[in-house]
Amino acid sequence: MSSSKRVSTAPAAPKSPTVLAPTLVIGEHAVLTGTYLITLGSNTVVHPRTKLNSTYAPITIGNNCIISERSIIGLQSPGSDQGMTIENGVVVEVGAIVEAKSIGEGSIIEVNAKIGKHAVLGKHCKIGPMCEVGEHEIVPDFTVLFGNGMRRIDRSGVEDLKLKMVARQVEILRKLIPNNLAKFK
Amino acid sequence: MSTFMPYAYFQCPCTDSFPQSRNLGDESPVSVSSSFDQDDRTFDPRAPRANYSLYPLEHLLYCEDCHQIRCPRCVLDEIVTWYCPNCLFEVPSSTVKSEGNRCTRSCFQCPICIAPLSVSSVEPHPEGLGAENLTVGGPYVLNCAHCYWSSKEIGIQFDKPNGIFAQLAKIKNGGEPIITARERRKDREERNRDTSAGPAVDEDGVQEERAANLDPNEILDAESQFSNLKAFYQSQLAEASPTSALTFSGGDYGYGSPGALSRIMGLYTGGSFADKKSKSKKGMMREAQDALEGLQIVSPTSEDEIINRLQTEGWDSTASTVQKDEQSTYTRFINDLRPIAHLLRTKRAKRCKTCRHILSKPEPKVQTTRFRIRLVALNCIPSISINPLSPLLPGQKSAFLVTPLKPTQFLLTFTNPLFEIVKVNIATPAQTPGRFANKVTVLCPQFEIGANTDAWEEALREGSKGIEREKRRTKAEATEGQHQAEAGKVWERGRNWVSVVVEVVPASLSFEGPDFMKSEEMLRDGGALREDEDVLEIPVFVRVDWEADAAHDESGGLSGGGRGESEVREKRELAYWCVLGVGRIAQD
Repeated sequence: MSSSKRVSTAPAAPKSPTVLAPTLVIGEHAVLTGTYLITLGSNTVVHPRTKLNSTYAPITIGNNCIISERSIIGLQSPGSDQGMTIENGVVVEVGAIVEAKSIGEGSIIEVNAKIGKHAVLGKHCKIGPMCEVGEHEIVPDFTVLFGNGMRRIDRSGVEDLKLKMVARQVEILRKLIPNNLAKFK
Repeated sequence: MSTFMPYAYFQCPCTDSFPQSRNLGDESPVSVSSSFDQDDRTFDPRAPRANYSLYPLEHLLYCEDCHQIRCPRCVLDEIVTWYCPNCLFEVPSSTVKSEGNRCTRSCFQCPICIAPLSVSSVEPHPEGLGAENLTVGGPYVLNCAHCYWSSKEIGIQFDKPNGIFAQLAKIKNGGEPIITARERRKDREERNRDTSAGPAVDEDGVQEERAANLDPNEILDAESQFSNLKAFYQSQLAEASPTSALTFSGGDYGYGSPGALSRIMGLYTGGSFADKKSKSKKGMMREAQDALEGLQIVSPTSEDEIINRLQTEGWDSTASTVQKDEQSTYTRFINDLRPIAHLLRTKRAKRCKTCRHILSKPEPKVQTTRFRIRLVALNCIPSISINPLSPLLPGQKSAFLVTPLKPTQFLLTFTNPLFEIVKVNIATPAQTPGRFANKVTVLCPQFEIGANTDAWEEALREGSKGIEREKRRTKAEATEGQHQAEAGKVWERGRNWVSVVVEVVPASLSFEGPDFMKSEEMLRDGGALREDEDVLEIPVFVRVDWEADAAHDESGGLSGGGRGESEVREKRELAYWCVLGVGRIAQD
């Protein structure tokens, strides 16, 4: 898309339709493209240089989420236009590629992980660094993917604590990231 | 066939110095020239034994007293320091002997994914983030940040956030306490006291006494079973032969004790008092009878439980082979896994096996990576690098993919690390050993390499005369002229390096063709191409000699020899085999 500086002389891509919560934190260099609706919930943090692409399906991101830089959210090629839902308290780490249909509450998608098209992630999952979830895969709640495609179910029962930690992280990021909400409205 | 990087491996001469008898039995069947004397034989890089004597130069050390290359096989390792790689705590070797080679503080690895575990409180502290830093707060668990495993899953919690190792040693998976060896011993002593004090105790009476403390039918884990068995047989031995009680106490033979000495003497003098006594006492020994004595009876239904568990919990509850390997005891299920204490690491000093001089010695402190002594071969013998002579042709994929039967030239660059001028002689067999005989010619087998002097000094000395000019001349020839290497002449020369040309005619890798064209070996076993047989490896015998300045000793780093006569320049010589992997032969 027209994200790099070189293309910027060409007429800018039309702004994608958005519904942005007033308490959202979004960096100036975040990239929101596409024609479908992008909805971002309250207290969510979108880092600079995050790419949200709604060319093929709408994107809905809940409250208290952290979407890190260089992550790519949204379908990258045509698929069903059912749209994609990221629930509350989800953390998408640097460089992750998310094309899932839905991601459950409190999940963490680690650095450079890949979630295949139309995959469904349950609640409080953790996709380890560089791990991949296949297309159309359904990952049950509390699943932890780690290492070389190993899986286990996390029964530690501290998900509330983790959600609190995410909220705390959002608080700090709010102070660190220069907000430019107006640009995307 | 991916990318090929040329390599130069050096043979450590220690493999030659073994007694001749070693070579008779296990001589490789491939070697044709087994009847030859060791010195005359061409080193065969494909011989199975060659694998164990070839090293890249970086792995080799150099003993300055023996004036010889030293490989990992001919040095002795000495442990300088034990330390934990996680907390970098230096563990005294006495502790290693008594406690084993694991960190005994709080360093653990996750049994599921081997990531380091961290200690954290179970109680959600009201202040959230700071909860881990505060010493208050209820029980603690070990947590894996990577796979979210926590010791809560195996039912283990700790009272204190430090000294986890000691706490873990007392808890079984599930939270039951482990009866430690010391407690068992105490219990045993108590029992013995009771039995000896009590009047006329029969076997049943003893049994009742024990039941009060420990269950004689309890199922022991491997460690406590061993300690029980050991204690039992020690006491049996002590009872069976009171004269030699001294000898066997503590599992030590203790040859120093007078009792043991007289017993040993008795062996030679043909029976004495000690011998008779011990004989008369024989037959008092009995075997272990219950769990307290370390006996575990395998019940016929013991496996049913495991099968049941497998059926109910399924495949996911079983531990993988990797996970099992990390455990100290055999475990089948994930719930039986225990956190792995970090294995200690060592810093080692290396000594020459023949003269016992130290070749490498690191600083004993864990945090420093410096070495006090490090005599690496890289500083003492010329290194060899390989480059293709002709530039890469457009169609060519890699310069190191050579076409069969087409003469190909390579540049061998020798770099001299010494502060003296060295003379180098190199020799190769006309044909490489192995099934495919490649023809090899070194165009300039004899040359001199300049000293590794200071670059600044060199620049100052330059001016009119010098090597630089010669270098320029040869270089000019190469670029404008016929682009051909001349026999007997060095290709290019620098301050402390020389490159010479070696020409190779790779053999064809096909097995077709008339019999007379094939080598003996090919006729013998025929068949397909073996693994890596297409790699073009050239054995090269390198002989280096130079005149070391005896007075120059300290600064030159060449000690030993010429102690009295400091003015005399000493001639040094070093000869060794190298193997150059120059490329892969293309297959049609």
